[in-house]
Formats: sequence, structure tokens, C-alpha cells
Amino acid sequence: MCPLAAPTSATRSVARFGRAPRITKHLRRNRETNLPQPHVNILTRQFAPCRLEDHYYTTLQDDLMYMTFKHGNPEVLKKQRDIRLKFDPDDPYVQNRYNPPVGGSQMGRKPAPPLTPENVIRLEKISIHTMVKEAISTKSNLLGAIMALRALTGETYKGGGRHTVEGIQIVRGKKSVGGWIRPGIPVGVKVDLKGQSMYDFLGTLVEFVLPRLRDFNGVTLPPLSSSTNSPSAVSGVVSFGLPPVAMGLFPQIEVNLDSYPRTYGMHIHFVTNATGLGAQNRARALVSAFQIPFLRR
Amino acid sequence: MLSATLHRSSTTVRTSLRRTIATEATTLSSTPPRPQISAAVILNRSPFLTRTPSLFERAYYAYQARVRRALHNPFPFDFYFKQGSLLEKRFIQEERKRERRAFGPQFGKEENVSEEERAATKAALETLAQQEGEGEEIVTRVHPADTSRDYKSLDRHGPRNLYLLLQASEGGRDIWRFPQGGSEKGEPLHQAAYRDLQAECGDHMDTWIVSRNPIGVYKPPPPPSTPSEQLTFFFKAHIMAGQCQPQHASIKDFAWLTKQEIESRVDQHYWDSVKDMLSDY
Repeated sequence: MCPLAAPTSATRSVARFGRAPRITKHLRRNRETNLPQPHVNILTRQFAPCRLEDHYYTTLQDDLMYMTFKHGNPEVLKKQRDIRLKFDPDDPYVQNRYNPPVGGSQMGRKPAPPLTPENVIRLEKISIHTMVKEAISTKSNLLGAIMALRALTGETYKGGGRHTVEGIQIVRGKKSVGGWIRPGIPVGVKVDLKGQSMYDFLGTLVEFVLPRLRDFNGVTLPPLSSSTNSPSAVSGVVSFGLPPVAMGLFPQIEVNLDSYPRTYGMHIHFVTNATGLGAQNRARALVSAFQIPFLRR
Repeated sequence: MLSATLHRSSTTVRTSLRRTIATEATTLSSTPPRPQISAAVILNRSPFLTRTPSLFERAYYAYQARVRRALHNPFPFDFYFKQGSLLEKRFIQEERKRERRAFGPQFGKEENVSEEERAATKAALETLAQQEGEGEEIVTRVHPADTSRDYKSLDRHGPRNLYLLLQASEGGRDIWRFPQGGSEKGEPLHQAAYRDLQAECGDHMDTWIVSRNPIGVYKPPPPPSTPSEQLTFFFKAHIMAGQCQPQHASIKDFAWLTKQEIESRVDQHYWDSVKDMLSDY
């Protein structure tokens, strides 16, 4: 394993341009567009080394495992007490009797699974969404937000042939709220980022936007007295919002800010693989390792 | 592995206690003394350069980039550039270069512009590049500390994890080991680790001990003279700034080493205990 680049490999070309293979069978064409349809689902994967992902695997993963590991012998650790007898179909007593469901909310009562090298906390995806109120009256008001998210994330609708990633999606109303929203009308835009584009967005946010954002000292933490069993405390998601001025600080948008009708605020969710009690705290430890500041009120 | 070791040591303590109570009437000399516990710090300098991709990785990335380029949605030129502007011309030129690199020198059709116009565009783009300072040199990925084999420099081996090792004279011979020291009674082990690090390497370093949990344990082969068990618990730490300045005369030397370089310096027994705590990259 040589850490420094061998001079020979740096100069070798990795693109070969031989003669194209002879076409033996023509591809089926789409009836509407008349474009050839590949008979396999073409996927594009990572196309460049990713700095933050490398940082996660070389440094953060080990550190987070050491920080969140709970020592103890799994045989000795207290087993969770069953709150009532389990329904046993072999028991003659319960035959032909009603099997009542477990009562009470089990949300937030499940302990975190034991930590193994495989389930160390990691970032699964970043979800960004923005709501445009004016789009309720005129659909075309969404176009500015769509264009802004395209520039921010580099994603387009099924761009790069990637049909597994939805790209920029339009959010539609679900309920009817008098005088405000109706089901089915487009009201916002969202995008889910995974892998390389996720780390690229995170790097831009942390290095260009947050340091230049005025009056932003950090993501506000809930008070110490807040519940540890609430759905938001055990889901392992860190969420916060950015004001409309933050959009103008992204370098992708800064270059032609006047092309957009206005700037849009956005909600950002960092979705991690943490589950069980204390998941939110572990998720915050991960996100703060990527240099997102947190602040206690 | 660590939890198993801890558990085993606690059971040893428990059995020894039980034996003390059971055999108190007969003999007291059979009880082994309490183990001597010390704390060591694995001080890490994280990589500050990206890894150099291997030839296979570069070929993979180039292939994926070609697929992506072939399938991407059209780029909205008119949204990002004023029509006919110099920036648009430069972008189109660079894009053509990238396309030829991806799909071969024959890709794309030649634009039909006159020779004078082409020369004028070229001259304008060159002035633009000069104004923007594109002729600046990029710093090399190989630092002078790499070429001069300066093991004390924190700038060596940018893409790899480095660890601080000290050369100390112990028992009449020089050995390489991580910074370590004993713990006082009632002192938490992670605080003892920090204190010992400062005692051996000075306070000219900005360090952070990652976790209060030890990340591993080393049990040296027991010397025949001292029957008490010796245990060294390791803590991971990061260096943010500063440099090691050895404080004792017993510490002859220090070095910032990669995992492979550590293997050749430490004892085999020590290496077997610490190798799984060190990062390969």
C-alpha cells in the first residue's frame, strides 16, 4: 500500500477509445420520443473521490464508535422485562381465546441496538424541502424554487439516467384547509440527496454558507427538560431551517442571484441510521462532527 | 474483544476476593496483589489530504463520469449565461474539451467560425484567464518532510493517519511505545491519560481525548520478579495544533508514524495488542 501516487500511474490514461462494437441488434425505441431504450437499467454511481466521505471513514467512524459505545457484558446486562405474558399458541389455556394486542405506546421505549462495527452511526441521506406559498395561486411560481434546488444540489429529474433517485420532486397538498390549501395542488419542492451529492452539499453548507450567515450561532438544541421518548428524540434525524438570505450565500446561486425571482428559505433534514433511545443525541454527535454548530438556549 | 477482556479481569478480581475469604484462616500469601493500572494515549494526526485513487479507482470513476455525461439532462445555457458573452464562450470551450476527453478526440462537430473570429475569442479568453489568476501553481501533494524523511514533522504523509510514538529507556533498553503513565487513586482513567500525556510530551499541544471509554488494553508478559498484573488501557486522542516536546531525559526521541512504520519499531507482543486500534489508512 503506497500512500503517495506512483508517478507512472498518474500519467496513465484511463479512457480507452477503441472501435465501437458492431451493432447486432438494434435497441427498442420509445414511441413518443423515438429515442433508443437501453434494455438494462443504466445506473451511474460515484464518479469522483469524495472528501467528506473519506473523512468519515478515516476518522469520524472510529471516533463515533468510541464515543457511543456502552461497555458491559451482554450476558450480564439486564434483560428487558416482558410487560405481560406472551401469547403462546401451544398453551392449551389460550387455545380459542382472544389474543389482545399490546396496549400503550411503545414509541421511544425501545433501547438502542447493541453497537457493532456495522451499525456505527452514519449519514443515510439529506432531505431538503421548501414551500412556496405563491404557488397555491399560480403554479409557475414554483419554477424559481425548482431551479434554485437544481443549482444547489446538482440533481435534476431522473438526471444521469438514475431512475432510482427521484431528483427534484414537487410536493402536493394533502388536506383541504379552508382558504389556504387544497389536496393535489403543488405547493413546494423537495429533493433527497444520497452518497456523493449529499456530501458535496454538506461541504458547501458548512464551508460557504453557515460561516457567512449573520445571526446564526448554531442549531438550537431543545431544552434539557424535553422528553427523551418523543418521536423526534428517537428517530435519529437532525432538522433545521435556513432563512431566505442563506440561499444567496451558496456559491452555485451567488454567481447569478439576479436570475431567480426571489430567494427561498429551506428546511434541511439529516437522516441517520440511529434508532432507539438517545438516537437524536447520537445523530447530533455525527452532524456536529461534520462541523455543524449546535447551541443551547 | 475489549469488553470481554474487561469482564475477564473483573471475574479474576471477584474469584480472588472469594478465595481470600475462603482461605483466610489457612494462608494469606496465595492472594495475588491488585493489578497495576496505567493509561496510555494513542495520539492521532488525522489525514488532511484526500487519498490518491488507485489506477482501478480512476478507471472506475472515469467510466462512471462518461456514463453520467452521456445521459445527463440538457444544461440550461441561457439561464446561467448572457447569450454571446465571454464567459459563455469559455464555458463552451471547456465543455468541449471535457467531452473530447470523455468520448474521444473525434467527438462533436466543429463549429463553423472564421479564423479571425476564433483568434479573437482565444485572445480574449487568455486575457480573462490572466485576470482571474489561473496561472497560479498548485501546491504539490508531497511535502518536503516526506522527501527528507523527517519523522518529527506533522506535515508528513498527508493522506494517512499518523500516531505519536516515544522512544523511552525502560529497564536498561530503549523501546518505542505510546505516551503512557500511572493513574492515581480515585482518578478517572481518561483524566489520568490526559495528565500523563502532558507529563511526557509537554503542554505545547492542543489535544482532545475522544472518549472516556478506553479503546483497548495491553497486558505485558509478567516478569518473574513482580507477581502483580500490569494493565495498560489505551485512549484515542486527536492533535489539533502544536508539537510534542519531551519533558523527561528518559524519553530519547519521538516520531509521528503510520501503522506500518510502527510495526517495525515496537515489540511483537506490544504490536499484537495495539495493531487493531490503529487505522490502516
